[in-house]
Amino acid sequence: MTTPVMTPYRSSQQPGRDGFAQLLRAEWTKFRTVRGWVIGMVAAAGLTALATVALAGTAQNNNSLPSVATGPGGVAATDTFYFVHQPMAKDGSITVRVTSLTGRVSEPPFLGGAHAVQPWAKAGIIIKASTRPGSAYAAMMITGGHGVRMQYDFTGDVAGLPGTVSAASPRWLRLTRVGDEITGYDSADGTHWTKVGAVSLTGLPSTVQAGLFATSPPYLLVRQTFANDSGVGFGTVDRGAFDHVSLQGGSPGHAWSGAAIGGGGASGSKLNCPPGQPCAGPLPPAGFTASAGTFTVTGSGDIAPYVPIVDPLGVTFKGSLIGLIAMIALGALFITSEYRRGMIRTTLTASPRRGRVLVAKAIVMGSVTFAAGLAGAAVAFPIAESKLRSNGWVKPIYPVMSLFSGIGLQVVVGTAALLAVGAVLALAIGALLRRSAGAITAAIVLLVFPLILATVLPMTPAQWLMRLTPAAAFGLQQATVRYPQVSSGCLPYHGCYPLAPWYGFAVLCAWAVAGLGVAVYQLRRRDA
Amino acid sequence: MSWPGLVRWSSAPEAARDALHAEWTKLRTVPSTGWLLLSAIALTVGVSALTTAIVKCPASCGADTTKVSLTGIELGQAAVAVLAVLAMSSEYSSSMIRVTLTAMPRRSAMLAAKAAIVTGVVLAAGALAVLGSLLAGRLFLPGNGFTAAHGFLPLSLYHAPTVRAAAGSVLYLALIALFSLGVATALRDSGVAITVVLGLLYVLPVIGGLILNPHWERRFQRYSPMNAGLAIQATKGLGKLPIGPWEGLGVLAAWALAALLAGGLLLRLRDA
Repeated sequence: MTTPVMTPYRSSQQPGRDGFAQLLRAEWTKFRTVRGWVIGMVAAAGLTALATVALAGTAQNNNSLPSVATGPGGVAATDTFYFVHQPMAKDGSITVRVTSLTGRVSEPPFLGGAHAVQPWAKAGIIIKASTRPGSAYAAMMITGGHGVRMQYDFTGDVAGLPGTVSAASPRWLRLTRVGDEITGYDSADGTHWTKVGAVSLTGLPSTVQAGLFATSPPYLLVRQTFANDSGVGFGTVDRGAFDHVSLQGGSPGHAWSGAAIGGGGASGSKLNCPPGQPCAGPLPPAGFTASAGTFTVTGSGDIAPYVPIVDPLGVTFKGSLIGLIAMIALGALFITSEYRRGMIRTTLTASPRRGRVLVAKAIVMGSVTFAAGLAGAAVAFPIAESKLRSNGWVKPIYPVMSLFSGIGLQVVVGTAALLAVGAVLALAIGALLRRSAGAITAAIVLLVFPLILATVLPMTPAQWLMRLTPAAAFGLQQATVRYPQVSSGCLPYHGCYPLAPWYGFAVLCAWAVAGLGVAVYQLRRRDA
Repeated sequence: MSWPGLVRWSSAPEAARDALHAEWTKLRTVPSTGWLLLSAIALTVGVSALTTAIVKCPASCGADTTKVSLTGIELGQAAVAVLAVLAMSSEYSSSMIRVTLTAMPRRSAMLAAKAAIVTGVVLAAGALAVLGSLLAGRLFLPGNGFTAAHGFLPLSLYHAPTVRAAAGSVLYLALIALFSLGVATALRDSGVAITVVLGLLYVLPVIGGLILNPHWERRFQRYSPMNAGLAIQATKGLGKLPIGPWEGLGVLAAWALAALLAGGLLLRLRDA
């Protein structure tokens, strides 16, 4: 008698592996197979594009555009200053010693005298293609609050010796032209010179204008209060005192002549004084004096890029907020629905290493929202751009931006990244709270509510809000370039953010990483 | 044939009382209710106190002190919205709705009872939140330069516009609750409902504030639920408001009514 041999059953399937790739695939399958989520994600991308285009369609520029100069490369520029100049043929150099820089604000008394010299009041030497506003230039200057600078073609700015200038501590400045290249030097004593920078100005004519200049930007009093927000500009002048002026390469027979470039220095004698309060006298007129080799030059205006207050493209992209809250909801639901259906127990049985589950979820959610957001923003960008053009937002102040320019990529990729990390933050909060309503509310309050609060708070706390909360990342949608050498009012209300765009994004990322960290810790500690 | 004891024919007032009692029991016995009411009060008073502590007079003397003291309502309303959404959507997520509708087959009566109970608790919590906020304003503002020398009196409930702003803010929270309840009744899912409610409350004002078109900006300010409803807090410069205080609250009431009507209609038409 033979006993039948019982072979134990063995599945012909390969044993499953619990690698991270399998985990990602499992989470992707979970997302992909819930029809509502896929529809929601497509709708969120569509809403991002639609709302952005709709905002661009309504954005009308009814204000008359201020008259600005067009600098090299098409940059909008303010180019108003008082210029004491001589022609300089071909190569040469100009050297000068600056012994003082003083200034005045056409201030109503309540401002006090504290802002007498503007931080970006400038006096120094300049080599300029012509006296036409907007023409190419390179300049060495002493500023009211930023030491010696070499600036060129409006956007270039290099720091030299720090500190303020006085008779006891003067500054020597020198500009040398060889061909198209202009080199700037500074010195504290006139014998030891340091090279500050060199720049090649394309298309410089053989005869250029070289000389002394002074200019001082308006004092901007920006207030943002509960009642309203306002920016009032007060005219200012500055006066630089120069001696040891030496020009090599000048043509014989020419004397120094003064000119107010771009109307610069037709001094701001318009005074804004509260009724019943005494006003400071009118500002001294622009001009220059020369005696015994000593020059004083008085000027008003600025040589700088022109930065508009309103950022139409950045404001238009706030339409992505509608897509953002949809993606926040999807991010939170991706985990809270597991708790609601008890699916989380299956998930954690299949993959007992809990931290990796959450990381896999974050990667899947982040990638999907990034792709959807990128599609929405990339479709919206060119349409919004052309709508803004036809609504009166035109160059040079509002330059045409291509999708593949630096700013274009920042806005489009930045919007997608903002949506993705926002959804991951919502996912982390969802893992912590386990309830969809609470998690979605917390995420929306963290990301969107600061934008509301910032419009009602005074300026300083509002700016701190835009530095510390996840809403700092909205700076990525800023499409107007802000230059450090231009003092302009930066109001959150106008879509201006105190942090540089990618630093603001880093703040959001820090929130998301911290949230995920706490969520992983709690997921390990608690029962599912 | 009669079925003694099985069906109790109750009179209309009794039925209403029973419905209210049932809704009150459901709301009272969920732990989240207490936490959400507490956070509504804490968030409102917290943000109001912080704001009144930050704002200084020589810089912001144009501020409307009553409105400043009530800034926290803008955050506290989020907790109120969650409470009202959960009051309805949790019935669906736990399938309690079938029991509820079996016991109370008149669906609109059930919705009305729920609305009454939610409104009641929100009014009570809202009153505490508003009084706490005004107290914070009364304590902090004089120290920040909002003194008689600059033409400011301490906040007081003897000042008619302040009373209107305070009472109106409590009503505002109640209307937000009704609006959220209506949306949740129509949409059933807590996640979707809270997203729609907070989207309308928070995203519309941001977009409306940034829109570069005076015509559309004014429309947003007149008709978005939060901007319009919070007009009730203004006590200064009423002539310059995009919408008057009571008209603004009326706009929010219209949003709430529309949401409740839509929710009620869908509740009657759909299977639970």
